[in-house]
Amino acid sequence: MTRRLAPWVAGVVALAALPAIVPNSFYLHVAIMILMWTLLGSAWNLLGGFAGQVSFGHAALFGIGAYVTMILFLKAGLAPWWGIPLGGLAAALVSLPIGLVCFRLRGPYFSLATLAVAEIVKLVALNWETVTNGSVGFLITTFPPVRFFGLAVDWESKLPFYALAALLALGGLAATAWLQTSRLGAYLIAIRENEEAAEAVGIDTVRAKVLTFALSAFLAGLGGGFYAAYFRYVDPDAVLNINLSMEMVFIAMVGGLGTVAGPLVGAVFLTTVGESVRERFQVGHLIFYGLFMMLAIRYMPEGIWGRARRLLAALRARVLGHVAA
Amino acid sequence: METFAQSLTSGLLTGALYAMIGIGLTVVFGVMRIINLAHGEMVMLGMFGAFWGQSLWKLDPFLSLLLWAPVMFVGGMLVYRFLLRKIIPGGELNTLLYTAGLSLLIANLALFAWTGDYRTINLSYGQEPVRPFGISIAVPLAIAFVVALAITGALWLFLSRTDLGRAIRATSQNREAALLMGVDVERVATVTFGLGTALAGAAGVLLAPSLYLYPTVGELLIVKCFVVVVLGGLGSVPGAIAGGLLLGVVESLGAVYVSSTYKDGIGFVLFLGVLLYRPSGLFGVGK
Amino acid sequence: MSLLEVDGLTRFYGGLRAVGDLSFTVGEGEILGLIGPNGAGKTTVFNLITGFVQPSAGTIRLDGKSVVGLRPHAVAARGIARTFQVVKPFPGLTVKENVTLAAFLRHPSRRDAEAAALEVLGRLGLGHRAGDLASQLTLMDQKRLEVARALATGPRLLLLDEPMGGLNPSEVDVASRLVDQIRKGGVTVVLVEHVMKAIMRISDRVVVVSQGEKIAEGPPAQVVKEPAVLAAYFGKRAAP
Repeated sequence: MTRRLAPWVAGVVALAALPAIVPNSFYLHVAIMILMWTLLGSAWNLLGGFAGQVSFGHAALFGIGAYVTMILFLKAGLAPWWGIPLGGLAAALVSLPIGLVCFRLRGPYFSLATLAVAEIVKLVALNWETVTNGSVGFLITTFPPVRFFGLAVDWESKLPFYALAALLALGGLAATAWLQTSRLGAYLIAIRENEEAAEAVGIDTVRAKVLTFALSAFLAGLGGGFYAAYFRYVDPDAVLNINLSMEMVFIAMVGGLGTVAGPLVGAVFLTTVGESVRERFQVGHLIFYGLFMMLAIRYMPEGIWGRARRLLAALRARVLGHVAA
Repeated sequence: METFAQSLTSGLLTGALYAMIGIGLTVVFGVMRIINLAHGEMVMLGMFGAFWGQSLWKLDPFLSLLLWAPVMFVGGMLVYRFLLRKIIPGGELNTLLYTAGLSLLIANLALFAWTGDYRTINLSYGQEPVRPFGISIAVPLAIAFVVALAITGALWLFLSRTDLGRAIRATSQNREAALLMGVDVERVATVTFGLGTALAGAAGVLLAPSLYLYPTVGELLIVKCFVVVVLGGLGSVPGAIAGGLLLGVVESLGAVYVSSTYKDGIGFVLFLGVLLYRPSGLFGVGK
Repeated sequence: MSLLEVDGLTRFYGGLRAVGDLSFTVGEGEILGLIGPNGAGKTTVFNLITGFVQPSAGTIRLDGKSVVGLRPHAVAARGIARTFQVVKPFPGLTVKENVTLAAFLRHPSRRDAEAAALEVLGRLGLGHRAGDLASQLTLMDQKRLEVARALATGPRLLLLDEPMGGLNPSEVDVASRLVDQIRKGGVTVVLVEHVMKAIMRISDRVVVVSQGEKIAEGPPAQVVKEPAVLAAYFGKRAAP
């Protein structure tokens, strides 16, 4: 039990210590991005990594979370800490009909269908101007003053966002860890391995996939809500872009599909590279996402974490062998 | 009535170019079972080829087809030979994700090299639309339409009359049987991928004078392209032609009679409907 | 009352009739052989009973209750388990994990499911392979795993689709004894099989299907002498 808790405790300690040691706010921004993408990679991984259902439509769920958070704040005055979870719930709710339709298709056809759904959602956001403000989107200028345990929250600093992102990322990782040991997680792996056989042994494959999609959508929606609050800006091109779906796929895949730490490793690796390029050149940071994706599929289909875990196991076996001998 | 004829015509013109992009995607799918997500980027490269040909070397955009189609053909064969071939045994989803990576790589390299600015190509001719029967037709689109028809016709002859073309169709229908009949399936696959890339590039060159050019235009095109090939049945060339024309007409009529803002949505809804209820395509010619 | 009653079962594919007006029953504790030439529609019958394919017409009842229209997982929950002609293991999982997934149907807690899985594996002589990946097993062992997985769902009726196909004669003997042992464990068995020797020995009764229709039914020794059966298997000329 202690061995399983140790990495979590170490992680929380490291997260708490990080703001004290980073030299400037750019690094804190990178850390926030890594945490947000850890959450998003984890969200995609639940469905893509465990159940083997490759969704190209997660941008839609992210966008719904972002829009709901934004609209609730601007039109109903609801603060983001209510808006973000509600954004997640909205994404989960919308995922149900999407799932029921798209899961009738298998393999690449499922992927194409989710792509089409994401495009439809984007079109709606562009054209339903009374609700979404069309292509102009929304901008938050100031946050209301808030006290947290008696302390005034400084919205101009990145610290409160860092804390929120850390909490969300931990939530994403914890959800994955829970899934890994749950019956639902076992069902998903069965579906990934052979869907017909899974049905034959009594697994309700549609229910398992729809439930997981909803959980995945909830996390993606939380990520979208966080994005809206952090960047204070939402428009269809920013939060419903197909590249967002692709980034989630790539982070989970490069990190390691179907593992707890995979999306974290993928986010650390890709986001660091990506944000550094973005800082220096403004454009083209996704060059490396594409490149690493291709390299990973060709040379390391189990992902960085998958490979590292195997090497560690081999090393441990060898060391233990020495000790025994 | 006049509006109807007008929008039907422009729908057919655009549809022919959709069809041409779709054919490239569908032959590749037919032979290799690859859904090539980077296909839209191939079109984008063709568009920029036409642009740079004109601005650097004063090449007529339409004539530059003679340069870029062969270049894209060879480029496509190299991509297949050195990149894709080793991935295919890993399964359909791996290949799909690999081409997604390729798509992002090409689009962002282009963004890096050429910036995200919108560009246009100005022709020295054809500024005024021609007006047969009172229907206004943009000259660049009309030229593109005629050339696209010629290329599609030539492709048809190639596929039906030459040994290599027959080998491609045979492999598409039944890979195992083609292998047993002594078809060099690897060579067929390489040529097919080159052909698909060349068709995408050629369509890009032809579209360039009629559209805005920017590095991520492929995103928009690939999604339309999926609609086209799924409507027609994945793997079917006649299906892609019909699907392309249908999408062009539906979008064009939809813009007039339904809603101009949701015209792209009509295509996607059609797409989902076909995927769910007629997975072999509207015309029942796909597999 | 019979455990399984199939009445007027029909299935069309486009204009093609794969199964036509097929009726038969299976009694509790029986071993029924479903035989017929290639393409007779035997596997389609299994797919129809287990909900993988929906019938065009006809009824299927387990214990008097219809199972038509249920999805495969729900049919499994009612107590009908099946194996596939071409084995479908979960290749990346261990033998124990494969069977545990099936045992979840009756044992919601992981510990109980794992215990049940190990019990079934022991019964089928696969206990020593529990930790191996399913993809590493021999064909014989993969077929055993397929049966183990089906049994772990706690069925009352087990449908075996060519459990002996591809096995050598001594393996066929082992498999035959296994089927008999399963029945002794209280599970009713229907099997589709091409290995006639095995069918003759272990079935209480056989139903012969040709072109989707029942052409004969009865004790094995008697059925093989019927002219219609001989004609279906060996062509018209062989019939006296």
